[in-house]
Amino acid sequence: MKKKIGVYVCHCGGNISDYVDIEKVKDAVRDEADVFLVKNTLFACADSSQKMMEEDIKTQGLDAMVVASCSPKLHLNTFRGVAQRGGLNPYNYVQVNIREQDSWAHSDNPAGATEKAIQLVKAGIARAKESEALTSMKIATTNAVAVIGAGVGGMRTALGLADMGTEVYLIEKSFFVGGRTAQWGSVAPTNDRGDVLTAGLFNEIQKRSNIKLFTGAELIEKKGSVGNFDIKVKIRPRGFDGNATTDEIQKAVKACPVSTMDEFNFGLTQRTAILIPQKGQYPQQPAIDKALCNQCGACQKINSSFQPASTNEEILSLHIGGFVANTGFDPYEPAKGEYGYGEIDNVITLPQFKRLIELNDNELVFKGKKVKKIAYIYCVGSRQDDDEGKNKYCSRYCCTSATHTGVTVKNKYKDVLNYHFNRGIRTYGKAELIYGQASQQGDVFLQFTLDSIPQVERKHNKTYVKVKDILTAGKTIETDADLVVLVTGMVPRENVELGHLLKIPEGRDHFFNEIHMKLKPVETVIDGVMIAGTSQAPKNILETLNSSMAAAAKVNSVLTKGELSLEPTLAKVNPGACTWCGKCAEACPFDAIVQVDNEGKMVAKVNEANCKGCGMCTPVCPTDAIDLDGFTNAQIGAMIDALAEL
Amino acid sequence: MALIQPDLTKELKKYGAFDFNACYNCGTCTSVCTLSTEDNSFPREMVRYSVLGLEDDLKSSLKPWLCYYCGQCTENCPQEASPGELMMSLRRWLTAKYDWTGLSGLFYKSWPLTVLGFILILAAEIGFAARLHFHIDRIIYYGHYFEMFSILGVFTIILLPNIIRMWYFTLLKRKIKAPIKAYYTAISDLIVHMFTQKRSLDCDDNKFRWFEHFILVIGYLSLLFTTVFLNWFETSNLFINILGYLESAVIFIVTFDFVLSRIKKNKEMNKSSQPSDWFFVIWLLFMGITAFVVRLFIDIHLIDIHSTVMNSWSWVYMFHLMILGQWALIIVPFGKWTHFLYRSFGMYFAKIEELAK
Repeated sequence: MKKKIGVYVCHCGGNISDYVDIEKVKDAVRDEADVFLVKNTLFACADSSQKMMEEDIKTQGLDAMVVASCSPKLHLNTFRGVAQRGGLNPYNYVQVNIREQDSWAHSDNPAGATEKAIQLVKAGIARAKESEALTSMKIATTNAVAVIGAGVGGMRTALGLADMGTEVYLIEKSFFVGGRTAQWGSVAPTNDRGDVLTAGLFNEIQKRSNIKLFTGAELIEKKGSVGNFDIKVKIRPRGFDGNATTDEIQKAVKACPVSTMDEFNFGLTQRTAILIPQKGQYPQQPAIDKALCNQCGACQKINSSFQPASTNEEILSLHIGGFVANTGFDPYEPAKGEYGYGEIDNVITLPQFKRLIELNDNELVFKGKKVKKIAYIYCVGSRQDDDEGKNKYCSRYCCTSATHTGVTVKNKYKDVLNYHFNRGIRTYGKAELIYGQASQQGDVFLQFTLDSIPQVERKHNKTYVKVKDILTAGKTIETDADLVVLVTGMVPRENVELGHLLKIPEGRDHFFNEIHMKLKPVETVIDGVMIAGTSQAPKNILETLNSSMAAAAKVNSVLTKGELSLEPTLAKVNPGACTWCGKCAEACPFDAIVQVDNEGKMVAKVNEANCKGCGMCTPVCPTDAIDLDGFTNAQIGAMIDALAEL
Repeated sequence: MALIQPDLTKELKKYGAFDFNACYNCGTCTSVCTLSTEDNSFPREMVRYSVLGLEDDLKSSLKPWLCYYCGQCTENCPQEASPGELMMSLRRWLTAKYDWTGLSGLFYKSWPLTVLGFILILAAEIGFAARLHFHIDRIIYYGHYFEMFSILGVFTIILLPNIIRMWYFTLLKRKIKAPIKAYYTAISDLIVHMFTQKRSLDCDDNKFRWFEHFILVIGYLSLLFTTVFLNWFETSNLFINILGYLESAVIFIVTFDFVLSRIKKNKEMNKSSQPSDWFFVIWLLFMGITAFVVRLFIDIHLIDIHSTVMNSWSWVYMFHLMILGQWALIIVPFGKWTHFLYRSFGMYFAKIEELAK
């Protein structure tokens, strides 16, 4: 119990004192038991006021302090600092909010506001009386990070971390690194080739001994908390071990009897059960698609490095300090019939078109027909009027990519004509120049709104796109097209398991959610788990790499010191009172409560590194065995008593 | 509904238009244009139709004729898409579309073809003179008849049918039902605009240019009258003689200034001259000068119009006749001269359209 409490009531200029009678408040609390001094300040946060309070603590020997002023969101840390400088434990300081919760809210009723302020300050004093000195605890951390996903973003994160001295486990689900970027060919705005970008990154990864790359690998288990996670990674058998010549690989592919659509080319071509690395995909070693392979053994007869029957799945246990999830996106797959997709055979998506350009060197040919007129329909799967919040967003990359593709095909195949059916071109930043280039080369831009979207129809053996063009005063404009390209947006990749495993929250759009877009752009509410790239939101390659580097720096900054200090406001279990009903563990959103054996009795225990001091566990405990430091039952009880006493 | 026609967009570039693809539809051109109105808004709409290649919409539009190329749109275009030059090119293209013979289009798109036409006319002139055994008195006598018949012929065979076609494309085909009275009421507009170009005064800073153009039109038309109907070269009437000198002087002085400004490119409208523009001003300049010199030589007896002998001074008349032939048979029916008619009829039809509402 504290016996010498200093109480300061702030005017906040006139913000408080215009409505609350400060003198009345002071008079009302002056005679409270254990209140040693009561003062008012014009601005408690002013330097002079802070100095005065520090002096009071030192010279008067205060053992607790209350400031009745604004929201603790604004100045809790300010006055905790004052307490500390005066020689008081910061947790013996209590802030009472008589501005946001009183004077501002009740500016129409000064008498009532004064009354309320008195009660609030009394409750604050009651809490201060029960306050205890708390010190934060430190835990040792492991400077190792699991980076999940090895596209451009994941590889860049891994490199960034490795160069700062962090041990990196780069975990890629597929058998090849490179991700989406390897598929794109020429990319905006610099005309770099996607496969060259991924090749460069992979090359750098090879050079670093502190990056361990696992392909065909998946995170299957996670335990522990920031600084100390124990994880398990499952590695699927590659089905290929050893060496084979290009010729032998080609023969094996020919010999393979099964066939399915090739995801790398978005179904434009077929593949067998033998996965051959494409340009930009690494390692440049084949793998066997177990799901498709019928174990006929034809490939093994050509070269024994092919091991279709291999089942030696490997489970690795790793100890790490943090995660970066860089799991990427999926291109939006239009519904059957959406702008004729899946019904009219020359309607394809932009990702498919990018592959088609890669597959056609001299002449642009689609299904045996030469392509001259191309109609691009923008915002397919983006900026939709969706009540659920899905696909409501702009996918950011598409306007730039589509105009850039228009320029690319015009340069590559000459007599191509591009028609862009858009909803307003958003080639922001430097990509604006690409839009200019597309206009200058004669690309035609037509604009529509969501109310009257373009119609794609088949007549006279030709495909036509028709639109009410805003730019021609709403006149209906039509063109025939050899190819209709749906400029599809980004959707979150199917990642449910990983999301659950790492407990990363999702937004309404189902992308992973950061804490704050601007202030904490790569951190999640789970300490030690960062997100980056298109797992967060639609991004172009440049933005993906920016966030990937940010995530590397952020996770490194947490782990590099070797230890972490935790907030002392943590839950505590009294093992004597606990009867392990498990209700607290159920209520805990952070997996911080575990069941342990305490001298033959099963009780709850708080994993302090995981506990966030949210207090969800305390009210559900039937035996009052769990308490939260800084917000103890005694403190809260005393406050309620003080408020109830009229 | 209108179909995009990329070939038309290419075709327009052959008439001088360039860079209009760069247009991003901001509408600055239309907003700075002092002649554009709510009912007749341009040039953005014309740029848009051209980008899309909407042939029917362009062919039926009178808007290109309502523009006087002050150049404000081009100066203010943030994309440097030269809307002013596009409007100019549309006027050339429309001239070709109105022309039933199709020769206008060929001459606009190919200057060598125009030059070939000029050479053929020169050859015909020499052949004609040879048939008259180079008797200068007879050449001048028939030259005068040539003037009269070429005016009548070109007007009835080429220009009149073309104006009827223009009327068909811009009013009849668009199903604009105007009462006969409207055609009558609007005639005053036709006359005023034909002779004064009054509308171009609404363009900013255009007063001097308008004045030059105005006296050029008056000088040209009155010289035409003086030579053809008052027979200036053969007259002995002092008043007619001095009038002819004055008129031809006005023509060559004004056109000299026009040629100079096209060389200096001191105004937006002079910055991108097409061969058809050069032929027009230079031939007009030559016509003024040669007419002046021929009459001067007659007055100081260097040329004797009653003599059968072709002295070396008489070749000046041959040169004048050549310019006249090329002017009357190529530039007037198929070249830039037609803008004199189409512009004023453009205003006339626009007025009728307005009255029909």
